[in-house]
Amino acid sequence: MRSAEGRGRTLDEAVDAALIELGETRRNVDVKVMHENPDETVVEVTVIDPEAADSSGELPPLPNGKSETVRALLEGLLKHMGVRAQVQVRPGTEPITLDITGRDLGALIGWRGETLRALQSVTNVMVGKHLDDGERVIVDVERYRQRREHTVREIALRAARQVKMTGDAITLDAMQAFERRAIHLALESDPDVSSSSIGEEPDRRVVVGPRKAAE
Amino acid sequence: MPAAERIRKAIAVVNAAADGAGDEEITPTEIAEAIRDCMELPETAAVPKVRKFLAEALDATSDGMPADFVAMTLYAALGALQEGRSLN
Repeated sequence: MRSAEGRGRTLDEAVDAALIELGETRRNVDVKVMHENPDETVVEVTVIDPEAADSSGELPPLPNGKSETVRALLEGLLKHMGVRAQVQVRPGTEPITLDITGRDLGALIGWRGETLRALQSVTNVMVGKHLDDGERVIVDVERYRQRREHTVREIALRAARQVKMTGDAITLDAMQAFERRAIHLALESDPDVSSSSIGEEPDRRVVVGPRKAAE
Repeated sequence: MPAAERIRKAIAVVNAAADGAGDEEITPTEIAEAIRDCMELPETAAVPKVRKFLAEALDATSDGMPADFVAMTLYAALGALQEGRSLN
């Protein structure tokens, strides 16, 4: 996995420096803040989507029985829905992640990913008998989910930075459960800030605040 | 709160349970409560198919069926609600 260190006066500058070195866009990378003070920010930027970044990439994964069955079932469902798309098993992921690719798949994602979430529920019900107890399948369309997770992680890092500077808690926009989870995971190891959720579904929001105040 | 919005809220609660947001544990009681809230609305009671799907979702919750199954049944209720509206 390719990565590069970036330095700058602000988080944006540091990330941009690393992106230039990697020749990548923000879409395909994961950002980790290594060091931060008022004068300089140091980040480690890692390419998370090697297939998209390098089309000469690896060979597709060998079909394993379970993944292949699940993939074929989802492909069949899409066919019945009249959607022309390819389904592939994302290599090296646990739980099994199915990537749907094709043209004009916005309708499969829906508003704030709601249609995608519904598709995932239906897929899990369909393939349930092929899975172990508690095992689930993740469905992604044009890497929407992956991109969203990265976006909210970046939002979390920005919010954390602001909380450290001002000492005030920040309430983020309403998000889906997997997005809130990505934020909690991104901030869990930060000794200075903590995250918690407030409100009721579907308007549940993450609050990022100083750790002392939260405890 | 309109019926569709109430059903969407129940779906979001179920999805949060399925995805495990990590900030709190969602209990079957909370899911059941969200579904019952939907059933209490005159708008859902007026469409037999919607009521049937909501009752199925409630049964599935109390029987400990997977969250995805409950969510799918609620999506069916939402679809039936839209269908009922377009027929009227």
